[in-house]
Amino acid sequence: MDVFGYFALVLAFVCAVYAFGGGIAAIVTRHPLLIKSSRQAGMATCCLIFLATFSLEYLFFSDNFSIAYVVSHSNRDLSTFYKIAALWSGQEGSLLFWSFLLAVYVFSVLLTYRNKNGELMPYVGVVMAGVQIFFLTLNNFVASPFKVLASPGADGVMHYVARADGNGLTPLLQYPEMVIHPPNLYSGYTGFTIPFAFALGALLARYPGEKWIHLTRKWTMIAWMFQSMGILLGAHWAYAVLGWGGYWGWDPVENASFLPWLTGTAFLHSVMMQEKRGMMKVWNVWLVFCTFLLCILGTFLTRSGVVSSVHAFAQSSIGTWFVSFIALIIAVCLGAYLKNRDYLKSENQLDSIISRESSFLFNNLVLLVSCIAILSGTLFPVFSEWITGDRISVGAPFFNKVNIPTGLLLLFLTGVGPLLAWRKTSTESLKRNFGWPLGIGVAAGAIAFAFGFRQFYSWVCLVLCVSVASTVLLEFYRGAKVIRSRSGASFMASAVDLTMRNTRRYGGYIVHMGMVFVFIGLAGAAFNRDIQKDMRQGDTLKIGPYTLVLQGFDTKPEKNYTAQRLLVEVLQNNKPTMMLYPEKRRFSTTEENGTMVAIRSTLQEDLYVVYAGTSPDTQLPVIHAYLNPLVKWIWFGGVVVVLGTLVAMLPNRRAVLVLSAAQQPAAQPVAHGLPSSVTLREGHD
Amino acid sequence: MIRTRPIAAIALLAMSAMPPLLITPVGAQQLSDRAKQVGMKIKCMCRGCDMAAGICSHPGGAFSGPCETAKAMLKEVDQHIAKGETDEQILQAFVQEFGTKVYAEPPKSGFSLVAWALPSIYLFLGTGVVIFVIARWRKRSVEQDAPAGGAPGISSELLERARAQASRETQD
Repeated sequence: MDVFGYFALVLAFVCAVYAFGGGIAAIVTRHPLLIKSSRQAGMATCCLIFLATFSLEYLFFSDNFSIAYVVSHSNRDLSTFYKIAALWSGQEGSLLFWSFLLAVYVFSVLLTYRNKNGELMPYVGVVMAGVQIFFLTLNNFVASPFKVLASPGADGVMHYVARADGNGLTPLLQYPEMVIHPPNLYSGYTGFTIPFAFALGALLARYPGEKWIHLTRKWTMIAWMFQSMGILLGAHWAYAVLGWGGYWGWDPVENASFLPWLTGTAFLHSVMMQEKRGMMKVWNVWLVFCTFLLCILGTFLTRSGVVSSVHAFAQSSIGTWFVSFIALIIAVCLGAYLKNRDYLKSENQLDSIISRESSFLFNNLVLLVSCIAILSGTLFPVFSEWITGDRISVGAPFFNKVNIPTGLLLLFLTGVGPLLAWRKTSTESLKRNFGWPLGIGVAAGAIAFAFGFRQFYSWVCLVLCVSVASTVLLEFYRGAKVIRSRSGASFMASAVDLTMRNTRRYGGYIVHMGMVFVFIGLAGAAFNRDIQKDMRQGDTLKIGPYTLVLQGFDTKPEKNYTAQRLLVEVLQNNKPTMMLYPEKRRFSTTEENGTMVAIRSTLQEDLYVVYAGTSPDTQLPVIHAYLNPLVKWIWFGGVVVVLGTLVAMLPNRRAVLVLSAAQQPAAQPVAHGLPSSVTLREGHD
Repeated sequence: MIRTRPIAAIALLAMSAMPPLLITPVGAQQLSDRAKQVGMKIKCMCRGCDMAAGICSHPGGAFSGPCETAKAMLKEVDQHIAKGETDEQILQAFVQEFGTKVYAEPPKSGFSLVAWALPSIYLFLGTGVVIFVIARWRKRSVEQDAPAGGAPGISSELLERARAQASRETQD
């Protein structure tokens, strides 16, 4: 099966080269057969990558310990669940997984548009094949996951060898979320290849106007949604596994995943300017280019080790390849732009400063400033070493100081932007839309202040969250009220109806609501508390309203590790509430330790209990307990963001013509002319 | 007279209890809290991560709370605190030991100032560009709104109606 996978990858590379070269030839000659064959070569590339990926998974499941990658990342006792995840637990497999996810996107695009947009698709196919060639080069010639173990025999000839068992999976990765966090994040990274391919393809083809934007909107939203999920799942994984009580440490690799999310978010907003007003064509194209470049940069930072990171297990010397690829992309994008920039000329006009257009400009400004500030902060240690010879660290305190104000500014725009009208917003409209939300926000702030809420940024965040949530809810309320007055349906049904009539707008509002929840959760971090104590059996530890009683500890042997568990009884206001079992795991194959944090999570706060090891002084187990307010809101907000994105991707329910005698159930749309008995009424498909 | 005795006794007891209350801020828990605060300002020197010593939890570390290197650094902080040193003195001691790379955030002096200045520069430059763009687009809009010489002007009522209609149709 290893030979099968190896040859599948080699053939995939050959097919990708053909798809690329044949595609260019097809663009030049416009020969229909050449166009078709290069497209089919693109699809064959994807199928061969699928086969290679499945064959590597088969090698994991069949415990084939003659393959170096399987030996390094699996063992016989590893559960089925983690044998799937072992695919992306190391560099070679991760890069193959990148190719796999990219192939899923490419295959879907080639299949969806096989008979459409004939002018554009050969260009898109060439760009996608170009990206695939890069990753297949790595898969085949730089980091092959199908390398076999061999050792020199007595005759001096290399002989294949097989190990009895593997080294096992890194303990840190043996956690359920580790199975879903990388696929989501990688789906985000790879997904941005599609809007990039369409943008570059459209620029090279001088393809008409906003067509590429309409074609890629859903693909961009899918990539953005996966990127959002990947980031939040990574944060949750860090929270539940690393055991330091936090979820975001501004680690370089975390930052790297956040950068394309910021530019992707900016693009999703600014693209509306082009769709509605034909503005910002150059800006949008470069935003997509930058987003894709940041995706590649993110992979480079994770893989190269150029900046030290908590993801150190993934590093190698592969960086040079990525730097070269990034340089090549920049050169191609710049060349295409300089050659065809005339095509991107747009009639940019602004009727009023107080307009939706302005809000999008400022939204993009804040997102981009935040992105560049994080990027320069992440790379500052490298640059400072180059320039001064002294490596100056830039850690979490710096990023917090820089990003908290910009984050709050963005939250403010989240509330303001959607309520401003295109072109010009009247003073009346401003009063109508913002009067109540602003009043409610300020009132909430005053109440919080009266109750002793003094942390400045958290207080501002609270006021903004309440205001933004009020604007969103008010929008739903007003719209649903109109529908309810016409249809007589319940308020909830009217709100759903309203959402389904304009999924993009109301889906966007739901996403904004989700972001408000995330910000509420982030604001809670200012009030985190923790305490650490060496505990004898029966000892108590008090934190907030909770009293923790160490009832004992036990050892739980599992297939792949042995867990040392503390049995901690939780009393809330002196009433027994529940038992928590924080544990330390010892993985026999790697002789490494892992932590499982025990968390009691409510909307109000998380009681986060860590078994921090044994005290060297007292030889007693050490419990480190944290009280983290509002953390659950972050995860809940993430779910709402995903839900809103899914809603925004749905097609709108259209208004149709029905007979005025609404009692007749089989009302038919009328194609031509309106009989006197027919009136226009909004209904559903 | 008899009644004043218990009151005096209580007052005496209360006064004798006060000095320990005043002294407790330098107790063990306070010391540890301050060590953690300082620990957030210095980077763990285990070279396995970029995290602050106070929260180091990188792979290969202890997986829960600071790793062994960070624990040793925090212990060192405790010793400096016991000597009565200020936060700045403790930081300088670590800089002498490990160099400037020990800072969790760049110091606000020398070349490190660039790191602090950059975000503000981005914001000012970006805001400048946005204001310039808005001004340019506004000017273009005003120019186009003005009727061309000799051409019949559009009534403001009609223009307003057209705008309202366009606004409605493009509402999103």
